[in-house]
Amino acid sequence: MHEASIAQSVLDIAGENCKKAGYSRIDSIRLRIGRASGVMTEALLFAFDAIKIDTIAAGATVIIDEIPVGGICGNCGKDFITKEAYVLCCPECGGLSFKVNAGRELEILDMEVS
Amino acid sequence: MKVKVVTRILEANERIAADNRRIFDDSGVYVINLMSAPGAGKTSLLERTIKELNKKLKVAVIEGDIAGTQDAERIGNLGVPVIQINTGGACHLDANMINEVLGELPLKEIELLFIENVGNLVCPAEFNVGEDMKMMLLSITEGDDKPLKYPLMFQESSALILNKIDLLQYTNVSIDKIKKDAMSLSPSIKIFEISCKTGEGISEWTDWLVKKVK
Repeated sequence: MHEASIAQSVLDIAGENCKKAGYSRIDSIRLRIGRASGVMTEALLFAFDAIKIDTIAAGATVIIDEIPVGGICGNCGKDFITKEAYVLCCPECGGLSFKVNAGRELEILDMEVS
Repeated sequence: MKVKVVTRILEANERIAADNRRIFDDSGVYVINLMSAPGAGKTSLLERTIKELNKKLKVAVIEGDIAGTQDAERIGNLGVPVIQINTGGACHLDANMINEVLGELPLKEIELLFIENVGNLVCPAEFNVGEDMKMMLLSITEGDDKPLKYPLMFQESSALILNKIDLLQYTNVSIDKIKKDAMSLSPSIKIFEISCKTGEGISEWTDWLVKKVK
């Protein structure tokens, strides 16, 4: 999708937060990325490595927590988690009235600075 | 030293889309991002819709194509404001392309703006442009396997129009399968069956549209 633009936003947000906390170097950044967010993590890591050069994140590694798609079924009432990016029916009972409530995350959780 | 951040990553496109949305809201314009494969009948749908609305709503159109001005000419013939964007190769419209042409539209005089995206079942669904609603047009001759093969576009759409139903008898397509799969991807999706050629189903769609916008 648009991983280069996302990598740039990660760098901007992390840089701002690092400076605000009074530090000058970012050592690592932890992201939460949902399986259904449309982001290819490998492309994101590749883009981040390319743009971090000569910034305060030059030595930073990006750690990605992948969040599986999950939801709750209105038919059987169970919470479910699936490996698929798209849910077509409840994996527990096959019901069609379900709500997806996880898997589209795209956020910076925390980072190590020094 | 660990620093908690917990911030959503909004990439550049999302930020500009939010700016566009503010501009549309300030002017009271309802915006529909219309997506489909090439040849599904997006421009024909707009022609039919604009004629049927016939002054019930003040409509304008932004046409997105890789090249050419045929679509804008067709819409311009109906006497509504239209802007043609040529992406010069890009397979979708993005928020910045829309932002750049907003100044050319009389937004204060418009109630409904259609953004006709580039014909493509993949990329347009990934880029918000600041719309109130994404909707999709699928011509039934494309086949009933499309929802499951291109899930994101169906998942993102609040309305699905099935076009060319006058050709149903010449195909082995199951409308029920399309509906069932689309609804499992987007449970609240509103589905219309129409023919831009014969006019069947057009008024049901425009009645719904007028209620949505007003």
